[in-house]
Amino acid sequence: MITTDNLTKQYGETIVLNQLNLNIGANEIYCLLGANGAGKTTTINLLLGFIKPTSGSAFINGLCVSEEYIKTKQYLAYIPENLMLYPTLTAVENLKYFSGIGGKNLSKSQSEDFLNEAGLQKNAFNSRISTFSKGMRQKVGISIALAKDAKSLLLDEPTSGLDPKSSNEFGQLLHKLKDNGVSILMATHDLFRAKDTGTHIGIMKNGQLRQEYATKDISLPELEQAYLEAMNYKEFVS
Amino acid sequence: MYRYNFLYEFKLLLRSGWMQILSLLLLGLFCFATINGNQKVLKRKQDIHSAKVEVKESDANMLSLLDSVENGMEVSASRWTIPSSPTAVGNYYPRVAAMDPQPLSFVSTGQSDLFTHYVKPTMAGDDFTLNFTEIISPVQQLFGSFDLAFVIVYLLPLIIIAFSYNILSAERESGSLKLLASQPISIHTWVLQKISLRFLLTLILTVIILTIVFVFLVSGNNFKGLFDVIITTAAYILFWFSLAFAVNLRVGDSSKNAIVLLGLWVVFVLLVPSVLNQLGNTLYPMPSRTLMINKMRNLKEEATEKQDEILDNFLRDHPEYALNDPNQSRQFYHRYMASQKLVKEKLEPVTLEFERQLERQQALVSKFRWLSPAIIAQESLNILSGTSTADYENYRKQVIGFAETWRNHLTPLLYNNEPFTSSKYGELPSFNYHPIRLKNNMIASLIIMIVSIGIGFVAYMIAFKGNVSKLIIS
Repeated sequence: MITTDNLTKQYGETIVLNQLNLNIGANEIYCLLGANGAGKTTTINLLLGFIKPTSGSAFINGLCVSEEYIKTKQYLAYIPENLMLYPTLTAVENLKYFSGIGGKNLSKSQSEDFLNEAGLQKNAFNSRISTFSKGMRQKVGISIALAKDAKSLLLDEPTSGLDPKSSNEFGQLLHKLKDNGVSILMATHDLFRAKDTGTHIGIMKNGQLRQEYATKDISLPELEQAYLEAMNYKEFVS
Repeated sequence: MYRYNFLYEFKLLLRSGWMQILSLLLLGLFCFATINGNQKVLKRKQDIHSAKVEVKESDANMLSLLDSVENGMEVSASRWTIPSSPTAVGNYYPRVAAMDPQPLSFVSTGQSDLFTHYVKPTMAGDDFTLNFTEIISPVQQLFGSFDLAFVIVYLLPLIIIAFSYNILSAERESGSLKLLASQPISIHTWVLQKISLRFLLTLILTVIILTIVFVFLVSGNNFKGLFDVIITTAAYILFWFSLAFAVNLRVGDSSKNAIVLLGLWVVFVLLVPSVLNQLGNTLYPMPSRTLMINKMRNLKEEATEKQDEILDNFLRDHPEYALNDPNQSRQFYHRYMASQKLVKEKLEPVTLEFERQLERQQALVSKFRWLSPAIIAQESLNILSGTSTADYENYRKQVIGFAETWRNHLTPLLYNNEPFTSSKYGELPSFNYHPIRLKNNMIASLIIMIVSIGIGFVAYMIAFKGNVSKLIIS
């Protein structure tokens, strides 16, 4: 479960996140839409504990991130926009390393099972990451999350730069995770992927959550219209 | 976490080629420095050997001349050099007072390229003491010799800096740090483990290479010496890794880290030793050697003018010489040796001032040496090698003592007008250098280790209490 309670971040006079309230339960994928600087990445950094909130709180599985900085990470997986793994290690080695330092010892066959589950082709298991495409790296990232058995997943524009096929595969993986009871927060610019993957969508602007929708209640054109209105792109609003 | 950190860090280093480069570089540098150091020791041994051979040949000649004289034969030599005269023996057949290299002298050239290793003190005077000079060559000190001490004190920190300056920043710059920081680990601890592994690897490599060097390139097994060198080196390596750890946690990107660490290298390795050396020379300047020589000449000239008076006074002070000489025959050397004693006494304040200033300079460096572990490491290696300033000071004092013994052995013969005979040859004193047992360098190494751990601990605590976002998001 991912929760924020009046989460606010301010740098000097500039408010980059203003009283954000989110409540993402199990089996939910919440997609945060918004232009650059809307506060999406700040929200994720606050949930990860990388930055401290000016006021308000962030919770992972009911634990306050500021107070239980290390403990909350046990229930949390994170995939950044550009997932950078160790290029000279293989997919299996990267998975074993990131799981291992988190306290989870994986055997080779267990590692291969997770990579397989994440959709990575078998012949890539023992190849060095330096030979991988971005889509393949994202799959290794997913396998790290799977191995961790994290109940919450934070994704920061994970599909940017992915080709449609890879992006679609990624969406399917997220659905699988969601169905396994994982709470997912995904920051994205991709309206189509948000509509296709998410269960809920929030539109942010200038650090504020302007609108929220359940994806089943809104069509893609309606979402696009709502987004343009929220962004105040008058020339594009029909 | 540490098991995975160690295992995969090792794999990463192996695959990036760092381990191979580091191993080859260290092996190359240590081997070259050892060969270089050995060459210097060999040259020193050869010089001493040549001097001893020269004395042996000269002694054979002396004995042959004595044999001829004692058998009433004519000898074709200047009357000043015929060894039946004790002053001829004292001045033309001197002994070699050599400072033999110690088993570890190849490790550090130290002061050995500034001071002499052997002298031949004569009866005539103490002019040889002018060969022992103070260290006033900062350039020599700055660049030193390419020996093991140079590699350890000057070059090893640069390799450590190249090996550790970007442990955290590289992760941040490549983008993998956020993924790491999303794991249930403390980034400070993760950096500490990573740098500890690199410290251990560097230490193990250094120990292996030093062992190889000691076993294959140096004659004679000196495992106690090897152990001492390893302890000094380990403490010094730990110090630089502690600094790198602190910089990794406190400073920002890789380029800034590199600049800060190189700046610290300049301060600790170059600046502090140079400043201390200069400070010593400024606060306690050595008396001018030119003035000292001039004064010596003037005193000798004055003494020459009053030689008869000086001799009278001398004999008054030494009635045993007057009593044992019924002929009261007084020659040039009787007057000369008496005046030499006076010259020596009058010069004493100048030579004492010279020694005092040198002691003050050394006391200053000794007091402030804790400002730079480079000075401590260099000093420790010099002490182990027997090439420290204290070793040369000890040698100088032993030589002065021996010169006195040499003079005192022959002076009674001179004033009693007794000839030197071949039967007295065996009684001639000889010089044996006794190295001093200097303070163990273990304490200095231990202090460096404690300080290094302290630096690491303080850096860790500051970073731990500080804002973690500074580490993850620059």
